[in-house]
Formats: sequence, structure tokens, C-alpha cells
Amino acid sequence: MASATSANLNAVRETMDVLLEISRLLNTGLDMESLSICVRLCEQGINPEALSAVIKELRKASESLKVQQQQHTKCHFK
Amino acid sequence: MAHWSTFDKETEKETKKLIKCISGMEDEEDQNFQLALKFTWSNFRFHRFLDVDSHKVERSISGIYEKLMVHSDLRKAESWMRLTDEFLNSPLPQTDGKKTDAHYSVLSMLFSLSGSPSNNDFTERPRIKEAEAEDCFDWAKYLMEGEDIDNGLYPDTPVWSEDESEDDDSQRPISREDSGIQLDRTPPEDQDNTNKTVPVTWTVGEPGARAWLEQHVVTPYWVTHSPRFPHSLHLHSNLLNVWDQHLYNTDPLYLPEEKAFVTETQVIRETLWLFSGVKKHFIFQQHDGKVSVRNDVVVTHLTSNCLRSVLEYIAVYGQAVFRLQRFIDEVTGCSSEPCPPGSLSSHNSKKGSEPPFRTYQAFVWALNKYFTSFKEELTTIERELICNDETMTLSAVLERLGPHLSQIKVLHKVFCTGVADVPPATPNVVRASHLLNTLYKAIIEYDSVGEASEQAVALLFSLWTETVRPYLEIVDEWIVHGHLFDPAKEFIIQRNKDVPVNHRDFWYATYTLYSVSETVESEEKLNDSASGSSGGDQSSSSRQLTMVSFLKPVLKQIIMAGKSMQLLRNLHCTEAESSEKSSRDAERKDLYTLFLESVQSRLRSQETSPTNTVTDDQATRRSLIKMQSIVAQHLEMENVHDPLLAINFARLYLEQSDFQERFSGGDFIVDRSSQSVTCQTFELTLRSCLYPHIERRYIECCGNLMKTLKKDYKLLEYLQAMRNYFLLEAGDAMYDFYTAIFNKVQEKESWQQPSFLNVQLQEAVGQRYPEDSNRLSVFLENMDPSRKKHPVNNLEVLTLSYKVPWPVDIVISSECQKIYNQVFLLLLQIKWAKYSLDTLRFSGNVSEDAEVTRKLQEAPAEDVKLKEPVHQQIHRMCLLRVKLMHFVNSLHNYIMTRILHSTGLEFQHQVQEAKDLDQLIKIHYRYLATIHDRCLLREKVSFVKEAIMKVLNLVLIFSDRWQAGFGAWKIESIDKMESDFKNCHMFLVTILNKAVCRGSFPHLESLALSLMAGFEQC
Repeated sequence: MASATSANLNAVRETMDVLLEISRLLNTGLDMESLSICVRLCEQGINPEALSAVIKELRKASESLKVQQQQHTKCHFK
Repeated sequence: MAHWSTFDKETEKETKKLIKCISGMEDEEDQNFQLALKFTWSNFRFHRFLDVDSHKVERSISGIYEKLMVHSDLRKAESWMRLTDEFLNSPLPQTDGKKTDAHYSVLSMLFSLSGSPSNNDFTERPRIKEAEAEDCFDWAKYLMEGEDIDNGLYPDTPVWSEDESEDDDSQRPISREDSGIQLDRTPPEDQDNTNKTVPVTWTVGEPGARAWLEQHVVTPYWVTHSPRFPHSLHLHSNLLNVWDQHLYNTDPLYLPEEKAFVTETQVIRETLWLFSGVKKHFIFQQHDGKVSVRNDVVVTHLTSNCLRSVLEYIAVYGQAVFRLQRFIDEVTGCSSEPCPPGSLSSHNSKKGSEPPFRTYQAFVWALNKYFTSFKEELTTIERELICNDETMTLSAVLERLGPHLSQIKVLHKVFCTGVADVPPATPNVVRASHLLNTLYKAIIEYDSVGEASEQAVALLFSLWTETVRPYLEIVDEWIVHGHLFDPAKEFIIQRNKDVPVNHRDFWYATYTLYSVSETVESEEKLNDSASGSSGGDQSSSSRQLTMVSFLKPVLKQIIMAGKSMQLLRNLHCTEAESSEKSSRDAERKDLYTLFLESVQSRLRSQETSPTNTVTDDQATRRSLIKMQSIVAQHLEMENVHDPLLAINFARLYLEQSDFQERFSGGDFIVDRSSQSVTCQTFELTLRSCLYPHIERRYIECCGNLMKTLKKDYKLLEYLQAMRNYFLLEAGDAMYDFYTAIFNKVQEKESWQQPSFLNVQLQEAVGQRYPEDSNRLSVFLENMDPSRKKHPVNNLEVLTLSYKVPWPVDIVISSECQKIYNQVFLLLLQIKWAKYSLDTLRFSGNVSEDAEVTRKLQEAPAEDVKLKEPVHQQIHRMCLLRVKLMHFVNSLHNYIMTRILHSTGLEFQHQVQEAKDLDQLIKIHYRYLATIHDRCLLREKVSFVKEAIMKVLNLVLIFSDRWQAGFGAWKIESIDKMESDFKNCHMFLVTILNKAVCRGSFPHLESLALSLMAGFEQC
């Protein structure tokens, strides 16, 4: 039983590796951690396109936040 | 959201992770995080996308393949086809089967995320093939990854590398300047047997060198990617790896993180350093005053969560220590050792112009004392740790430090509420009293817990006694030398600079009492103009926890003693007795010393007291046994055989005696050393150790002041003088003065000239009391014309003034003189009425009478009928005169003897007994109020006074008519005078009788009686 589970685990790990390669090929910018989160969410039935839209939005927002903060600190230093 | 399924919760968890992962926000409470979460949820739930269509995805896959082919990216295209195929045929973590919706869904998500796959460089990374990995995965290798298994002679000790080169030395970061381990700058040891370098010049051949190194050099665990130390392979010391493996096995998506491995000894030492106030650590990190635990630190024999929880527990205390230490540094102005409070003023050079805030300094001094002992303990532990003689674990160390840690917790709590929570702009007086109050309250609070917190109480008590020192010194300085020395303005009473001592307002307006309201934390000024004593009382009644609680019971005494002393000092400064004073001062103990001595003697006396408790105990037990037998007898007598009752009785007594034993036994055990004060004794301690000293000092000071005022400044003589002149007790002198005025009035000459009045006064007084003559003077005031209706009011322009010299004018103020003057005017009016009645000459009337008779006899017979009324008129005038005289004399007697004299006697008696100046002032005021009241001068009884004034006025009119002679009399005017008098008289009698019957004014009785007697005879 234990070996069966571990075999399954390894298979899953392998799948994730493959998926990471695909992700890299497609230049999605996801790392292993975010990819595994996405996989879990997809498995839980979240619509993939909605998910990708969210990810894009989040990236945009955090990018602009960072820019703002940098400007702020720059102003601060001036 | 209460009906959320676990599935939803799972999704929520994942969503949060996703947001954290992508946006990098860690704080879930962050507003942005919450926004992102909301946004994500709404997108997940309410989107317009269609479900995944596997055909569409397949088409996309082949589309991308074609595109890559078109771009002649053959390798990529080939990889793409292979990878997607492989993926679609592989299992997913939670989904069984191949080419499921989940697969397509994942792919579809990647498609929509993809950014121009044809443009980026991609080379497929070789992957370990599943089949190979599955069978021969080397777990040992995985677990031992990065570890070095030494096969040498000493498997447990680091291996000495013989390759030496100097070049690596400069690159090794030295990150721990202040934690102590870099004291010897010998380079850390390297464990790798590869060609890593050790820049040491010893040769291995020397036998001492290796041993020395093994003992003294610590692995540079603080360096990133530092080499791992070797450790046992026993299961117990590899719990972390076991746990990791378990996680790896159960969770396919588990990613092992980069870890920094340390040993428990290192953790212990870092803990000790943290507690001793070192600011830079590896395991603990500080960000703006917050101590946190580094995330990636692990020890091999504990899971990271377990270690983390222990370390976080330590970090809390570390933070407390850090904050306290920083406060100590702030107050002392530097990081060097603070000095005792006495010598601090010179030490505190940083703040320069600002005078030192002594209460905080004393508090810091006490804290520092505690920390010194704490650090000693830490050093002992560390020394033992270094010696390596016995096993030491983190939990053992924590247990050993347990009492200290709980004390630090108490200290930190007190510090937070007493010091840290005070807003920065708060004045020192509020800070100081707040701190003292906090300590005081904390002591009481812990005290009430009983023996459970004996340690805390002892600590707080010692802290409090230290912190209270500046206050007691200020009090001491004030009540002994009369000098309120408080440069930092921290004492609750402060001197108003603009009032000089030799000013008559000194007593009232010199000091401001600051009272701090606990609830609103705002400062209120209570000017003790309502005299020091009442000021204190007011505040204590309205606000419970104001000011410095421990001083409240003796605040009045302190204020009185301080003011008295200052006054006394100023009185004495002319006299040369300072040398004597200073010599006495040298051997005098200050208040603080006295307090400490009393505390110690009190605690010692309690130590010896148990003998008493034993006897007490025996007595109570005996009485209990006796009671029991009585009850038993009683039960027998009544023939009650109730075994249950008997058992209960027995148990009751048993319990009680048991309780007795326990109680007294507990008392024996309690170690009452000088530092430990237990159970409810704190307030008692204060009451018996501090207050008596202040009380004694108060009695002494005020007694001295009273003596000086009475003896050297003739206070009593001045009070007598006031009575002499204002209340006409110096009858002869004042008689001369006022008869001169009355004569003038009778002769219809103008008397309202200041020069005339003053000359008369000087003459009258100067003969008998030459020393007072130049103090007394008379002024004329402009009367307001509306009141100038009656002749009797003419006198009201007079103002008698007596110049009271400085220290005495605190008691006899100008307000007092005003009241004196009012009474004086009343007396003068009565005297005037009396005088004008007394001086009416019968003889004149009689001779005129005779003349009239003669005239009448000569007159024709028809005039005879007029004769009868004239005789009647004379008779009626005489009768009226006697009645008026009776009235005026009654009034005069009442006021002069019943009121002024007897009240004066009472007053003299009270003055003799007055303990302090405030009391004397109060007595004097009360005396004045009494005579003012009893002379019916109060506003409330003004109608009585009006009636009296009417009668007095009538008297003056009457005497005027009398003087004018018979011819001027008219029967109507006599009628009018009679009826007026009768009315007034009746009114007064009724009013006074009512008052007397009510019993509220016993002193009025004599007046009422005599007036009534006069009335009945009418």
C-alpha cells in the first residue's frame, strides 16, 4: 500500500515537473509554487480563464503598487 | 459565510496562498490584501467564461505546435508535443484518470497566461525519469544532503583540513561584533574536507592547538550557506529530517526549503545573549524595537514548528528586556552604567540644560539593579554552558530562568503602563505621579493575590522604594528646609515663582497642587487658594485615583509643613541661628532613610512575632474545643440524637482548627526578609513607616511656626488689638474717640473730615496704647446716595483701618478687616443711639416744663385746655424715652456681652490650641463669621437688622426732637414715633421669639427675653 502511494506521489511529482516545463515553454512566468496552487485551484473547479485573469490583474496591481512605493521613497529621499 | 463547506474553505486557503505568492503581500490584515481577496473571489464566482472545452484545448495545442513549426522552432515544437502529451497522460494530485477536465483546465489556464511562447528561449531541461527514480531513490542521500559523514578517526568532531591558504580570510563576513563570540578573532573552523581553507598558522602536529580549537571555536552558523555541523545519526537527533520526509511523502507539492542549521547550545547561548540585552543576533532579529524569530532556523532534533514556538516564547521576553534596556539607556543618556540617583545630575550631560528627571532616574536605577542581578545569573548559566560539564537543554535553561522571566514580565507590564503608554508631550509631574501610581497599584494588585505572587510583590516593592526616593527627598527638603527643590517639575506641588515669601498672599497662592486624573489622563491644576487643607480634601473626594496615591493621606500635612517651614525659614533668616541649624542638620536623617529604617525594623519585628501567634492560636483552639463541648452538652440535654448533626458539627470545628493550623503554619513559613512584604501589609507598612515621620515633622514645623508667630510676631497681641479697636474692647480709648464724633454731630457741626477723625483717634489711642496709634487710621468712604436716607446711616462712611505687619497679615487679612469693620460700624451705631439717649437732659426739659407752666398760668383761661396735652406730651415723651433706652440698652448688652465677649473668649481658647497656621486662619475666619452672624449682619436676616436700624433711627430722631424743645413737639409726631417703635418692637419680639422657640439660635434668647420684657410693660 505504502509503495503504491509513494508511486502515485512520484507520478504526481513527475506530472508537476512536466507541467512546469510546459509553463516555461509558454512563458507564463509561474514558478513551481504558484503553479501548484493553480493546479489545486483548477482541480477544485475554478474556471481556468477566470483564474488566469485574476493572476494577470494581481500582477498588474502589485506592479503598480511597487512603482508607487518606489516613487514615494524617491520623493522621500529627495 | 457560515454555511461554507470545507471545500470552500480549502479554496479560500488556496486563494490566499495564490495572492501571497503572486503579489508578495504577507499580511492578511492588510487592506490591499483584503481587496485582492475580494476581487479574486468575485472573479472566481461571477465570471462570463465558458467551461473548459477539451476540443478547444486540443485545437490550441495543435495550433501552438503549428505556430512553432511555422517559426521553424523544431526543437520547441517537438518538446511541446511531447510535454503536452505526457502531461495529459499523467495523474494529477487529486484527480484520478488521464485527460480529465482538470488536465484541460490547467492547460487552458496556462494558455491564457502565456506570453508569446514563440519568442522566448526555451530549452527543455532534462528530467530524471520516473521509472529510474522510483526504484532507486536514495533516501539516505536525500536526507543526508549537504551533510558530511566523516569517516575519520573522530566522527563527531570537525575535521581538520590541512590545506591552508590565506586568500579566503577576507571574504568571510564577520557579522557578530557584539554578541561575544567574536572576542577571539580566530577564524571559524571548516568542516569540509574539500579544499576549503583555514587561515590558521598552527600546525596540526601541535597537540594543544587542536584541542583548543575544538573547545573555543564556534561554527559560523550565522553565515549563509554555512557548512553543516556533523551530528549523530540517531533517530532522536534527526526528528527534523524524519518530519520532512513525512511531509514529502504525504504532500506531493511539498517543497523543502532552505534551512539554517544550528545546535541547541547555540540556541541557548543566543537566548542568553538576547536576555542580556545584545542587539544583534542570528536567530532573533530586531526590527524597530520588535524582536522576531528568524524563519529558517532549525535544529536537527526538533521540527521547525516546535522550535519556532519555543523561540517565539523567548522572543517575547527578549523584547521586554530590549524595551526596558532601551528605556534605561534613554534615561541615562548613554549606554554606560547608570550611577545612583544622587550623583546622576553631573552624569547627565547629554540633555545639558534640562534638569534631570529624578523619578525616572530612580526608576531606572532600580531597574538597573535588577538587571545586574539578572545578568549575573545569565553569566553563570553561560559559564556553565561553556564549561560543558553537564547537559544543558533549552527547556532546562528556561525553567531555571523561570522566576526571572516572570519578574521581567511584571516589570515590563509596569513599564508599559507606567512609562511607555504616557504620551510624549506629558509634563513631568504627570509622568512621575503616573509611574508611582502604577507601581503602587501594581503592588496592591499583586499583594491581594497573596503568596502566589510574593516574588513579584517583593520586586515591585523594592522598585517602588527606589522610585519613590526623589519624591521623598523633595518632601524632606521641603518640610525640613522649607525649600521646594524640584528643577524638573516632577513633584505634585510646585512653587509659583511670582509670589515672594513676604507677601500676604504667600500662604494661599504660592503653591500649585497638580492632580492627575487617571481616567482622562489630563492634568488639572488645583490652586490651593482655598487653603491647602481643603484643597487636598476636595480632590480626594471627587477623584479617587488622582495624584500620587501614597501621599494622599498625608498630603495636607506635607503642604502645611512645607509652607510653614518656608515661612519659618524666612522669618528666621534675619536671626542668626543658621550655624546651629546646620550642625544639627548633619546628624539628622532624611525622610527616605527614616522610611527605610522603619520598613526594616517593621519587617524584623514581624519575624519575631510568631510567638504571639502561637499563643493566639492555642487560645482559639481551646475556645473551639470548649465550644464543641458546649454544643455536645446542649445536644445531649435536648435529647437530640442526630448523628448527622453531630458529624457536621465535628467537621465544622475540625475544619476550623485545621484552618487555624494552616493559616498560622503559613505564617511561619513566609520568609519576611527585608525585600518581601506580603499580604495586605503594603498600605499598613506605609501607614506605620512613612506617615508617622511626616506627621511628626508636620507637628514639629507647625508647632514651631505657631510658637514663633505667637512669641516673636505677637500674633495674639494683634488679634487682641483687632478686638480692642474694632470690637471696642478697649472701651476707654474708643469711648473718647466716638464721643468726640457724637458731640460734633449733636452740635450739628461737620464731623466728616479725615483730619479731625484721625486726630481724635490718635489722641484717644495714643494715650493708652502708643504702639498701636500709628497703625490705626480712619478713612471716609463715599457712600452711595441711595442709602443716605436715615441719620443713622451717616456713620457708615467710616472705615477704620489697622495696618497689620507681614507675617500676621496672613491671618488678619484685609477681608477679615472688612468684617471687623462691619461689626465696628454696627457697634458705633448702637453706641450713638445709646449716647444720644443717655445725654438727653431731663433738667432742660424740666426747666422748660416749669417755664411752660408759668406761661400757661399767665395765659388766659381759654388756654388752659392746652395745658393738659402738654403735660401729657411730656409724659409720653419721657415714657417713650425710657422704652427706647430699654431697647437700646438690651441690644447693647446683648451684643457687647452675650455675643462679643463670650465668643471672644471661645476664640482665644481655640487660638491657644491651634496646631498649624491653616487651622488658626480657619478658626479666625470662623470666629469672624460667628460674630458677623450673631450681630445679625447676615444677608439672610437683613430684615431683622432693618428693624433694629429703624429703631436706632427713631432714637436719633427722637433725641433730635427732644433737643429741639417743647415748642417743636407735635402730638402727631409723637404718635407716629410711638407707633413706629411699637411696630418695630413687636416685629422684633415676634421674630426673635420664633427663632428662639425653634431653638436654632440659642444666643438670641437673652435679647428676645429682654425685648419681650420691655414690650409687655408698654
